[in-house]
Amino acid sequence: MSAEARAPRAAGPVATVRRAVLWVPDWPVVAAAAEAGLGIEAPAAVLHGKGLVAVSAAARAAGVRRGMRKRAAQRVCPELEILGHDEGRDAREFEPVAAAAEQVVAGVEISRPGLLMIPSDGAARFHGSEAALAEALVDAVAQSGGESQVGAADGLLAAVMAARASVMVPPGESADFLAPLPVDSLAYAAMGRERLAEAEALVGVLSRLGLHTLGQLAALPAGDVLARFGPFGAWAQRMALGQDVAPPVLRRSEEDIAVEQDFEDPAERVEQLAWAARDAAQRLDAALLAAGMRCGKVRIAARTVKGDTLERVWRTDVATRSGAFAAHMTDRVRWQLEGWLSGTGDGPEPAPLVSLALIAEDVVALGDEQSYLWGGSSGNDARALRALERIQGLLGIDGVLAVAEQGGRSPRDRVHALAWGQEGEPPRRVEHPWPGRIPDPAPATVLPVPAPVQVLDAGGSPVVIDRRLAVTAPPTWVRLPADPRDARARAAHRHPSSGHVGGDGGIVWEKARPVEAWAGPWPVAERWWAPDADRRAYMQLALRTSDGEPGLAVLVAFASGSWRLEALYD
Amino acid sequence: MFEQARGDRLAAARAALKEVEARVGVARDDSDRAWPVDDAWRALLPEGLPRGRVVSVGGSTSLLLALAGQASQRGAWAAAVGMPTVGVVAARRRGIELSRLALVPEPGVQAAAVVALCLEGVDVVMAGERLALSESDRRRLTSRAREQGALLLSAGPWAGAEISLDVERVRWTGLGAGDGRLRGREATVVVTGRRLGPARRVRIALDADRAMTVSRAVGAAGADAREEVA
Repeated sequence: MSAEARAPRAAGPVATVRRAVLWVPDWPVVAAAAEAGLGIEAPAAVLHGKGLVAVSAAARAAGVRRGMRKRAAQRVCPELEILGHDEGRDAREFEPVAAAAEQVVAGVEISRPGLLMIPSDGAARFHGSEAALAEALVDAVAQSGGESQVGAADGLLAAVMAARASVMVPPGESADFLAPLPVDSLAYAAMGRERLAEAEALVGVLSRLGLHTLGQLAALPAGDVLARFGPFGAWAQRMALGQDVAPPVLRRSEEDIAVEQDFEDPAERVEQLAWAARDAAQRLDAALLAAGMRCGKVRIAARTVKGDTLERVWRTDVATRSGAFAAHMTDRVRWQLEGWLSGTGDGPEPAPLVSLALIAEDVVALGDEQSYLWGGSSGNDARALRALERIQGLLGIDGVLAVAEQGGRSPRDRVHALAWGQEGEPPRRVEHPWPGRIPDPAPATVLPVPAPVQVLDAGGSPVVIDRRLAVTAPPTWVRLPADPRDARARAAHRHPSSGHVGGDGGIVWEKARPVEAWAGPWPVAERWWAPDADRRAYMQLALRTSDGEPGLAVLVAFASGSWRLEALYD
Repeated sequence: MFEQARGDRLAAARAALKEVEARVGVARDDSDRAWPVDDAWRALLPEGLPRGRVVSVGGSTSLLLALAGQASQRGAWAAAVGMPTVGVVAARRRGIELSRLALVPEPGVQAAAVVALCLEGVDVVMAGERLALSESDRRRLTSRAREQGALLLSAGPWAGAEISLDVERVRWTGLGAGDGRLRGREATVVVTGRRLGPARRVRIALDADRAMTVSRAVGAAGADAREEVA
C-alpha cells in the first residue's frame, strides 16, 4: 500500500530485503464466493467495469480468463457465477487470513488483499528454515479455512513470483530467477488499480519494442530506461533486477477499541435496552480513555434472534465534547435501537435483539485531533449541533435531515438526504455527465411524490406524447390538483357541472390555467435494463395566473400514459 | 496620487480582513443588528436582514431561499422546518451552504417546540406554510426570536412580521412555444413593513442566465433591481 505511494520517488537504492510472500490465489473470487455462500468448486468470476478481474480455478478450467467480457465468459462457461467487485469486502474478508498468519509471524504487511509480505530472516531462523516457515504459514491459514502458497526471495517482484510458483529462491539469485519470466509479470508487483493500469501500458510498449522477458529489460542501460520510460520505467527495471524500492511496512496488530454485550433475554422493548445503551456507551468511553484515544466515528452493531446483523455508523464530534461523550453516545445508541426495534427504517424485519456492540472507528491518539486553523469549531457550530440533537430527541433520528447535492437527472434524484449525524452511502458524483439532466435554474419546490396533473390541448382533451416524442397538440391548459383545504375548489368539484356523479372520490382539481409558453418534450430513459426502469418525457410550462399575468412555471413529466407534476419553479 | 493609492489599498486590506473575520466567526462586523445583503438585494432590503425579527415571504420559495442564502453565505446556520418539498439544489444555487443546513420536514404537532429549539441554536429558521402553529404560538415564537437574535423567515403571512415581502408578479424569459428553456425570471415584490411607511414595489431578477447577466453587468451594475413607486 505505502510501497505504491513511495515507489515513483524512490531514486536511491534501498537495501534489498529478503522476504516470504503468502499468496492466496484468486482472492477476490474467494472472498466474493465466501460472502455469496458458494463452494470453492463452483465456477465463479468477479466482474468490474467491462471485464472480469478475477476467475476461480473451476472457471479457469472451463476456459474463462481474466480480462474477458462478461458475455464471452458466459459463452464459454454458461453456469459461471458472476459476482460483483467490492474492494471493501476483499479487505474485510482478508483480515482473518492476516490474523492467522500473524499467529506464526509477528508483523506482516498486507500489500493488497490476497497478498501478505513477511520479513523472513528472523522468522525463518525461529522455525529452523524457510521451508519450515512456509509450512507453518500454510497450515495456519488452512486452519482459518483458506488455501495459500508461500514463496521467498530477495526483492518484491521476485518474492511475489516465487510465491506464485511456490518455490524458495536462494539469496542472491533473484535476478536469475526473474530473467526468463515474461514482462507481463511486472503487473504482479503493482499494488493498486492505477499502478496496475500504468504497468499494463508499459508492458504493452515493451513487448511491441521486442522486449519479452524481464531479463531483456534488466539488461538495458539504466539511464536509457529512465530517459525513455520515466520514473515508472526505472521502477520496472529495478523490479526486474530483483531489487526493492521501499522497505516493507509492517502491520502492527492493534486491537479494536470495542465493547460488546450479550443480553440474557432477547430484548424486545426499548425500555429494556435503555440501561444497556447507557452502560455500553460508558464502557466505550472508559476504554477509549484507558487507551488514550479518541474516535471520529462509532459503529453500532446489533444481532437479532433471527441471526440478522444490523449496523450503522454515527459521527461523533468528541473533540468538542470530551466530557459529554458517554451521554451523547447513549442517545445515539438508544435512537438507533429504537429504530431497529420499531422497524421504521429500512432493513430486515424487526426482531428482538440478542447482542449489542459499539466499535470505535477513525481512532486517533488523544491530543492529535485536527482542529480548525482559527480556533476550532466556533461556538455557533456547537450551539447549532446541540439544538439539532435536541430536536432529534423530540422527533426521532429521522426527524432532522442533513442534505447534500448529488448527481442525477430529475430534480428529486439530485438530493442526497440522511438523518442528521448519520454516516451512509456517499452522494453520487455531480461531476459525472448526466445527459438529459434538467437544466438550471433548479426548481425551488420539488414534490417528494409526483402529483397528478392534467395537461390539455385547446379543445380540452389530454395532450399525449407518443413513442417517437411527437406531441399530439400544443399544451394550452393545465389543471393542478387543488389544495385539500380549499373549500371552494371542493365545492366546485362536487357540483354536477364538473361531471360529478356522487361519492367523495376523485381528485379535486383547480380551475384550468392557460399555458403562456412551453418547452419540451425532453426524453429521459433511465436504467432501462433494470426492473426499476424509468422512461419519461419532461416539459417545462409557464402558466398564466388568474389576473392574466404570467406567474408560476412548472416541470411536468409524461410517463406511461399520464402526466405527473414533478416540481414548481415558484 | 500615492497617498490616494495607499488609502485604497488600506481600505481593501481592511475589508478583506473583516470578511475573513466574519467568515471564521472571530468577530462580528456591524451586523449585530442585521445580516448584510449583496448589492443586488439592497433595493429590497436597504437595511439588510434584521436579526431577531420575523420576515414573511409570500408567493415564492425561491425568494425565501435566496434571503436565507444571503445569511448562510456569511456563516449562518440555517434550518427549514415544515418544508417537505424544498428544493435542495435550488437552495444550494441560492447560496445556502448545505453543510450548515438542517431540514425538519415533518415536525407534526411538535411544530412550536421544534421552531423554538431551532431559534435557540440556528441563526436563520425558515418556517413552512403548513406548520401547526396557533396565533399565540406565533406570538411566543416572535418574542423568542427577538431574545435569541435569530432570524425567522416565514413562508406565508405571519402576524407581527417586521417586513413582509410578497411576490406580486413574475415574468419568465427563455421559454417559447415548444422550444427554449426557463432562463431568467423577473419578479415584482411588494415590500411592506411596520416601520417602512407605504408599500414599495421592487422589481428584482430572481433567476438570471449566466451569459445574460455577464453582458448586462457591463452595462449597468445596479440594473438588476429597479424600483417603482406604488
